Amino acid sequence: MSGTLAVYRKEMATYFRSPIAYYVVAVFLLGTGYFFLYNIFLTGETTMAGTFQNMGILLTTLAPLISMRLFAAEFSGGTAELLLTLPLEPWQIVLGKYLGAVTILLLITAGTFIDLVPLYLFGTPETTTILAGYLGFVLLGMACLAVGQFFSTLTHNQIVAALITAAVLLGFWFVGHLQSFQRSEELRGLFGYLSFALHFVDFIQGLVRTEAVVFYLVVAAITLTLSAAYLAWRR
Amino acid sequence: MNASPLISLESVSKRYGSRTIIHDLSFAVGMGEIVGFLGPNGAGKTTTMRMIAGFTAATSGRVTVAGRDMATDNVDAARLIGYLPERPPLYDVLDVSAYLRFVARVKGVSRAALRGEIERVAAACRLEAVMDDEIFKLSKGYRQRLGLAQALLGAPEVLLLDEPTAGLDPGQIQETREVIRAFGAGHAVLLSTHILAEVTLICQRVAIINHGRLLAIDSPAGLQRAMEQTNQVSLRVTGEAPALRDALRAVDGVRAVDIRGDAAQPGALIVDCQVESRDGVEAAIARAVAGPFDLHRLERREPTLENIFLRYVQEPTGRGAAA
Repeated sequence: MSGTLAVYRKEMATYFRSPIAYYVVAVFLLGTGYFFLYNIFLTGETTMAGTFQNMGILLTTLAPLISMRLFAAEFSGGTAELLLTLPLEPWQIVLGKYLGAVTILLLITAGTFIDLVPLYLFGTPETTTILAGYLGFVLLGMACLAVGQFFSTLTHNQIVAALITAAVLLGFWFVGHLQSFQRSEELRGLFGYLSFALHFVDFIQGLVRTEAVVFYLVVAAITLTLSAAYLAWRR
Repeated sequence: MNASPLISLESVSKRYGSRTIIHDLSFAVGMGEIVGFLGPNGAGKTTTMRMIAGFTAATSGRVTVAGRDMATDNVDAARLIGYLPERPPLYDVLDVSAYLRFVARVKGVSRAALRGEIERVAAACRLEAVMDDEIFKLSKGYRQRLGLAQALLGAPEVLLLDEPTAGLDPGQIQETREVIRAFGAGHAVLLSTHILAEVTLICQRVAIINHGRLLAIDSPAGLQRAMEQTNQVSLRVTGEAPALRDALRAVDGVRAVDIRGDAAQPGALIVDCQVESRDGVEAAIARAVAGPFDLHRLERREPTLENIFLRYVQEPTGRGAAA
């Protein structure tokens, strides 16, 4: 575990010395603030539901900017040759880097707590619903970052990694819409199950369903495993 | 050489697709040895170093480090290896001490020993003045020395150095060679380079590789002999070839004479003389030729890697590829 921790500490040391992290945090918090104000004034309801929905789609477009550098930058910068010849198992590298990215996710999540201040000052929001929404948001982000990390292992080019990740994540976000065009119950069920958005809606509504929690965790686990397997295979 | 080598390659080949980069390579490096790995750019040195370091696996054959098979125990073996790749693997946004702390932690240096270990390698590589500097601000020389410092962290048993003196000034080259020499006393060092002088100065043996094949493993003295045999004097002369050949062969220090016509100027001859390395041979040739023949040009050619490789290819004198 010390190897994972060392990689994690290195990741955290490098994140905030690059402008990308500041850009992602700034755009996400500005975007979230805008959507929060828009939703509050539009609906007049003291709820985070609309804001969470917007945060979800904003995340699927910004998560690739966090994950793109995870391995692509190591390959293009020549540091992969160090990382992959140090006494580290591939899973330790993958996990250390992933935890670094998740820490950024938690930081931007915490940044949105400021929106809760006026919500609680001027209304009576349902705390459990908000907590469920935040849980869903973090799980969604964990899945998005793991997918992005996998695509970052496949290329030396950060832009390519980000574009592929964004395309795949938006595909997972919108795949639920394909249900309307299917007669087959099996396909409707499959598209519904694969939809990042439909699972997220449950959380926004205050429902913490085991199936949705497991879905995001399984997506993360599969793509993290693929990342580690790919690193081992590419030797 | 030690009975159980710290680095061993047995019939190792590496293919990328249909292209074979390394062909049936076998050699070993024992405890206390500094072995030079000599070859021109593209010879397969870096690929071989990467296989030994565990960055890439051999397609066939076996690579072992301290008895550990790099195909299966590479992570365990990595604890025993210090590796400086051709391009120093540095995180530009980190400062020097943060970078060394990261590598030391991964190599398992304990928290209590961390500071002392970093100070040790920083002193060995003369990095004390830049410990708080961000890496992107460092000169090429400092970057190379930082790459060497990270390789020395954790007191590895095996040191793999791919072009360790590239980009250094003469003073730094001298210091780096001293560091490598001192380290080599109790460890195994494989040093890749395309600089002839480097291997003759600090290595006990030299592995010569070209086009992915090991041409020979020789002593620096053997390499020196090969270098001397590639000393050449080239002339452009007008005259009769047989008489010119006789005149040149009579010169003390001339070993062989090759004469051919000059395609650019009919009647003129291009002459390559293989000569001994000592001084005065060119002058003797000039004296022998300038009178009876029209001498247009005379130049000394320093030994090149290509010529030395040709020498080994043409005369595989039993120095052969056995480790």
